[in-house]
Amino acid sequence: MKAWQKILSAAVIATIIVIVGTIAYFQFSPTTHLRISTTTSLYDTGLLDQIKTQYESNKKVSLDIIAQGTGLALASAGAGDADIVLVHAPSSEYPYLANGTLVCRKIIAYNYFAIVGPSSDPGKITGKNATEALKSILAYGRNQTSGTIVWASRGDNSGTFTKEVSLWKSAGYNQSKISSESWYASTGSGMAQTLSVANQKDAYTLTDLGTYLSLSHGGTVTLVPLISGSDYSLLNVYSIYAVNPQKISNVSFTEAINFIKWMISDTGQQAISNFGTGNYSQSLFNGAVQPIKNNSPQPDVSWIKTYAFFNSTECPTQYQDDHPELYP
Amino acid sequence: MTSIAELENLTLLFENKVVLDDITLQIEEGQILGLLGPNGSGKTTLLKVLAFLLKPTKGKIMFQGEEVGNKNLERLRLQSALVNQRTLLFSTSVFNNVAYGLRMRKIPKVIIEEQVRDALKLVKLEGFEKRNAKKLSGGEQQRVALARALVLRTKLLLLDEPTANLDPKNASIIEDIILTANKELKTTIVMATHNMLEAKTMPNQVALINNGHITEVESAVDIFRRLSRNLASFAAVENTFKGTARLTEAGTAIVDIGNGTQIETTFDKQGSVSVFISPQDIILSKKSLESSARNVFKGKITQISDLGSLVKLTVDVGKPFMVQITKRSFGDMSLNFGAEVFITFKASSVQEI
Amino acid sequence: MPHPISGRPSRALPIGTKHMNEILDGIIRAFQMIFTGDPTVYGVVYRTLFFSGVATILAVLWATPIAMLISLKDFRGKSIIKSFFTAMIGMPTVVLGLILFLFFTKAGPFGFLGLLFTPGAVILGEAVLVTPLIVSIAINAIEAVDPEMLNLARTLGASESQASITVLKEALTGIIFSDVAGFNRAIAELGVALMVGGNIAGLTDVLTTDISKFTSRGDFATAIALGIILLVIVFGINLIIIIARNPRALLTLGKMPQ
Repeated sequence: MKAWQKILSAAVIATIIVIVGTIAYFQFSPTTHLRISTTTSLYDTGLLDQIKTQYESNKKVSLDIIAQGTGLALASAGAGDADIVLVHAPSSEYPYLANGTLVCRKIIAYNYFAIVGPSSDPGKITGKNATEALKSILAYGRNQTSGTIVWASRGDNSGTFTKEVSLWKSAGYNQSKISSESWYASTGSGMAQTLSVANQKDAYTLTDLGTYLSLSHGGTVTLVPLISGSDYSLLNVYSIYAVNPQKISNVSFTEAINFIKWMISDTGQQAISNFGTGNYSQSLFNGAVQPIKNNSPQPDVSWIKTYAFFNSTECPTQYQDDHPELYP
Repeated sequence: MTSIAELENLTLLFENKVVLDDITLQIEEGQILGLLGPNGSGKTTLLKVLAFLLKPTKGKIMFQGEEVGNKNLERLRLQSALVNQRTLLFSTSVFNNVAYGLRMRKIPKVIIEEQVRDALKLVKLEGFEKRNAKKLSGGEQQRVALARALVLRTKLLLLDEPTANLDPKNASIIEDIILTANKELKTTIVMATHNMLEAKTMPNQVALINNGHITEVESAVDIFRRLSRNLASFAAVENTFKGTARLTEAGTAIVDIGNGTQIETTFDKQGSVSVFISPQDIILSKKSLESSARNVFKGKITQISDLGSLVKLTVDVGKPFMVQITKRSFGDMSLNFGAEVFITFKASSVQEI
Repeated sequence: MPHPISGRPSRALPIGTKHMNEILDGIIRAFQMIFTGDPTVYGVVYRTLFFSGVATILAVLWATPIAMLISLKDFRGKSIIKSFFTAMIGMPTVVLGLILFLFFTKAGPFGFLGLLFTPGAVILGEAVLVTPLIVSIAINAIEAVDPEMLNLARTLGASESQASITVLKEALTGIIFSDVAGFNRAIAELGVALMVGGNIAGLTDVLTTDISKFTSRGDFATAIALGIILLVIVFGINLIIIIARNPRALLTLGKMPQ
């Protein structure tokens, strides 16, 4: 055989080894791999790293967490590349329940976005609600010399951005139109980068608390939260779904349900609610299971029901996939 | 005398150009065949055909009674070896270079060691085994290339201008090796050359090749005895001139070779002659020399070639003469392109061919 | 001034020093990670070297026969093919990453293999990325060998196969350079590993993807630390290769030959 043919055959064999090796590794692995597709803002808080450590400590399961944007995370489920989806954009999530891709939804946590800005608050938004604040920022921005940035935006498909769009809508503006105005900076990147841009330009931005705290407590970002705390329009609700084994083949459904059960159990909920107290002396998330069950605190729970329930329920019966025990 | 190879009406076209034109040639076993012709005459291509590296477009080759075709090409290559004009060595030790062909033939290691040693002895490079082949001098490299081919004891050895770029000392070493190989190993040798002296002394037959066609094949003695038109027109055959001789009162001839250049000789021919002056018989000077030599010409340096310890110069005195001087002299005389110089040679140095 | 939420005192620093601090923090963190034997860091380093190493081996195996065929044979369209490979060197990693993502996703043509978000995908992806680079440089190296070399090998008795290997050996320095260049590109790229690997902690994350992750989180010190580790590894490996090729370089410490 000619020399190049020999090397080429070696190449083909090596490639096959890599492919077969990978497949075999996952087939014969003693631990089950549970693929969790989630959003970058949730992943970047570090909560999931902690949950992973806790969950894996006594089970033969490996949580493979893939952080993508909300849009991609949901699409991955549809393609069959994930077993669990953990996101925070109810309006984007519903179609996937409706078309049967996702089942067994549980709301596991909630918190509030914040609008941060320079401590001098040149736009004078303190004391207003979120919608009014955005109106003021827009007016302030239009008043500045052209090219002065007063608002930084994610501009990607993230849950944070989806929330921002809906806020502009309630304020009476079409986000895609105003984004081309010179005071509006669309970074198209993650929360930390967007906060950096806002910090650099002394501008305002919408952020989740986790990323903000990790950047501000080290002094990297000196913006301060001007609109924060309980505000219906800033409500951020996290839901978990299992990928439907009847629609998508080769998903680890049993392990997915086990994980969902753990996340709604007292252990899981405590892990969620306690997260952040060490580093930032406040928790970043509130577990949602007990509050929804006990209907307290208010008005937070009513807000959750208004904003995040589908047809007045957490998960319509037809999408509960024969797991009524999840919904006592 | 058996023929070892026969070419019948062999033609080779390369990119629609005729490189070898209807060649019919018989090579006798054990002979040294000289292939004499100017650059571009097809010498190298013919050698490659005989090395079974190139296939003819038309015509037939017989080798040891076998017709050469696609099926036996690779096998027959083992019987013939070509040594390039421009020495090409592998980037490794001298030993590995010489051993290459033996390894391809899967000769056992112990035997390889012995044969390499013998081959290096033959080319007077004993002890050079571990040296880096690329770091040797030009002459040494050429000898390694020769050893590399000789060690294979092929039936046919093809040499492309084996001494073209060498100074006389190394050239004569190589010539000795070639003659020894032919005598002791009984290797049939085909050597391409444009060195007149070499073509005259070494081969027992000479084939003239021009424009891809072989015009004559004669014994070396016969070729040079006859006044062949083809011979003198070889541009690359240096210091060979065709001219008209007229007798002087002294009984010796003065040959007019054209452009006003008249050469005094010591022979007594008349009429159309071809003459040759060996470069070694020519003295180069910056001023006209007063000496007993009869032939003094003024000219300009039109070409300079570096041969290592020697420098080859072409001086145009009306006709171009090739002269060789040592590098030291070249430096001492501070010669350069276009410099005005004188060449001097004795009448007795003019050889009639 | 107490921080509005955490209540801890916030450090107001003069403009510009914040990021210098980050870099210094990063250097210190890098040493900490290496010397305390932090298993997470060692895991990432291991995966980085393993994925890029295997990817390079695959790419060399693919590229060598391609380069041999292109440089040793004459055929129509040879210049077009050579330009194709040279152009592919400039393929943006995100674009390739996206294309491969669409190939490997379960909904895609090769989805049945289930390779997306696995180490295998990162290895294959990086191999595809660096193959054009290795092919182009190898072709250059082989073409730099004297064109008469093949005939020389043949006349000395080599078969076609042996002759082409001999040419390869003469081009060895250039070919090794092409392989090292391939490895350097593989280990330093982000787009492909991120898209097809998913940056799954403990499974498919490598140094570049983790640097990206920590930057995204605002943890610049860790990002810089990992960056320093990556640079040290790349320089270290390249230095070892140079010394292995020519041990005397160590002695002369790169002085020019007399």
